[in-house]
Amino acid sequence: MSERRRPSSAARAATGPAQRRRRGSLDPLEIAVIAWRAVRSNVLRSALTTLGVVIGVAAVVALTAAGSGVNASVTERITSLGSNLLTVSGGGPARGSRVRGAPRDTITLGDVEAIRALDDPRIQGIAPQVQTSLSVKYGGNTSYATVIGTWPDYERVRNAAVADGAFFSEADDTAARRVAVLGHQVAQDLFGGSSRALGQPILLDNLSFDVIGVLPDKGDSGFFNPNSQILVPLSTFVRRLHRSSPTGDPALSSVYVQGANARGLAGLEQDLTTLLAFRHGKTDPNDYDFEIRNQADQLATLNSVTGTLTLFLGSIAGISLLVGGIGIMNIMLVSVTERTREIGVRKALGAKPRDILAQFLLEAIMLSVGGGILGIVAGIGLGRVAGHALDVTPRVVPQSILIAFLFAAVVGIFFGFYPAQRAARLDPVDSLRYE
Amino acid sequence: MNPDVVTLEAVRKAYRLTDQPFWALKGVSFTVPRGEMMALMGPSGSGKTTLMNIIGLLDSPTDGRYRLNGDDVSHLSEFERAVLRNETIGFVFQAFHLLPKLTALENVETPLTYGGYGRRARRLRAMEMLERVGLADKAGSVPSTLSGGQRQRVAVARALATSPALLLADEPTGNLDTRTGNEILELFHDLNAEGATIIIVTHEAEIAEQTSRTVHVRDGLVESDARHRPQRGGATATPTLRRGEGRDRERTA
Repeated sequence: MSERRRPSSAARAATGPAQRRRRGSLDPLEIAVIAWRAVRSNVLRSALTTLGVVIGVAAVVALTAAGSGVNASVTERITSLGSNLLTVSGGGPARGSRVRGAPRDTITLGDVEAIRALDDPRIQGIAPQVQTSLSVKYGGNTSYATVIGTWPDYERVRNAAVADGAFFSEADDTAARRVAVLGHQVAQDLFGGSSRALGQPILLDNLSFDVIGVLPDKGDSGFFNPNSQILVPLSTFVRRLHRSSPTGDPALSSVYVQGANARGLAGLEQDLTTLLAFRHGKTDPNDYDFEIRNQADQLATLNSVTGTLTLFLGSIAGISLLVGGIGIMNIMLVSVTERTREIGVRKALGAKPRDILAQFLLEAIMLSVGGGILGIVAGIGLGRVAGHALDVTPRVVPQSILIAFLFAAVVGIFFGFYPAQRAARLDPVDSLRYE
Repeated sequence: MNPDVVTLEAVRKAYRLTDQPFWALKGVSFTVPRGEMMALMGPSGSGKTTLMNIIGLLDSPTDGRYRLNGDDVSHLSEFERAVLRNETIGFVFQAFHLLPKLTALENVETPLTYGGYGRRARRLRAMEMLERVGLADKAGSVPSTLSGGQRQRVAVARALATSPALLLADEPTGNLDTRTGNEILELFHDLNAEGATIIIVTHEAEIAEQTSRTVHVRDGLVESDARHRPQRGGATATPTLRRGEGRDRERTA
């Protein structure tokens, strides 16, 4: 005892340094730094662990983007052929015992005239349509086209403004002039360009028509190609090209009625149904020999189909996200076992159970959230590739990004908690001795 | 006013491996006054490790009383023990137990981090401790690039970082050669001379004899408790001779 010197210097600084936070409290940022170092210390393993989440999030983002891209493109195609449309077409009863067959020629010119005679302010335009497929000739060039007879309203009702020349007029129709408006493709086939077609005579069913207008490229929507149409006045069509119906009242394939706005459409649909039922002498809706379809209803049906499809694809992708989460849990459990000694040492140095819990939980969250961020980037890229393959413009849905990201974070917390709790509950004595 | 650092009163510890409890400690009582440097000895299975774990707040006694700095710490929650461990106990392990991915400086900072010290305070204090053990130039080195003696000195610096009341060393020279081991013991002597209270757990008599007191544990009880004149080990001394002397001294004391 005698040789012991007086207390002094560093080791005796029992009061400790002054710059001290609350007793036993550890800045979450400090734990984040510890967790980040652990993530970084094994890059390959962290990358592989997070891959499941990356793929899951990427799949959710890409598939919903592609799905809503398809949805948007279909909607756009439909509305590009006119908006607020009611389509009246002939056909068997909509309901009933008989299977609905091909549309029958039950809608006649008389019906359209009756609709026009209503002079309803809710109607903005009426475009009856009668059509047939014919060969069309110019000089030595021959092509095939769908020849449609219609009213001048068609231009507005069906979004068919000409690119060159002019649409036919009411006077052309009244006089049954032999004038034609060509679809983009027809003009290309016969003349090699739209501007060269104007004023030229073409032969339809061996009758000469003057080309007065050419439609712009409307895009090919598959089964129905607006580019290979030829539009002629309805009366010209009926008198020159049509095999008249036995009654002398020419049959139409369909009538497009454009509403002034979307609100009045349902009421208009009702009134037209009543009118046609009266004209056709039908009282039982099951006997109706015509059908009126509302474009808004069609769009809604279509949207619900593509929406369900998108949700379905997203859910499947979500399952892969869940699998990714299980992958994180698996690696975290291995990691806790592997680092038992480290946990023991940290505890010996004063780490509280919640410090250890937070460290491992943050590690899992960093992996899953990092995977989420990488997944969003990969998903947007993947969506572009898929969109290119499907020929649609992918629409990255912000909600899908948010949901996928939050889901990834929740997956990290959920699947990281159990391993982290295991780590926090390790006995310091046992874990220090662990080899 | 100045309570003893460690006071053990009839401390018992039971492990339930089977239906029958196994009593690793069967009633241990002794006191470690402030500034003492003592050795805790005992063969394997004696309860020496259990005793060290209890003193180091890694474990709690089944019954009996343990007072640390005068406060009863017999029955604390794990959270309270962790806080107290951080503030009052500095561990030095046989296998060093440095965190392999961290630099020497960061290793020394770790207990300060858990103690809630700010970044700057931590760095300053850790550097000061590395200087104290003579390793300021190795601050940026990771443990794998350091020699065994250097690693143990980093571990000592880490143990000192929070200015603990008690330095608890478990076989601190067990993984070192004699010369390096003696350097570590010299460091302990210096720290003790500056006022540090140190308990060295060892099975080597030649280390125990360098302290001023040796407590022998056997079968869960204190077998002997003897104060003696510390025999400062030096590079010149012959190990065999000192071992013989040490044993004599223990018995006579």
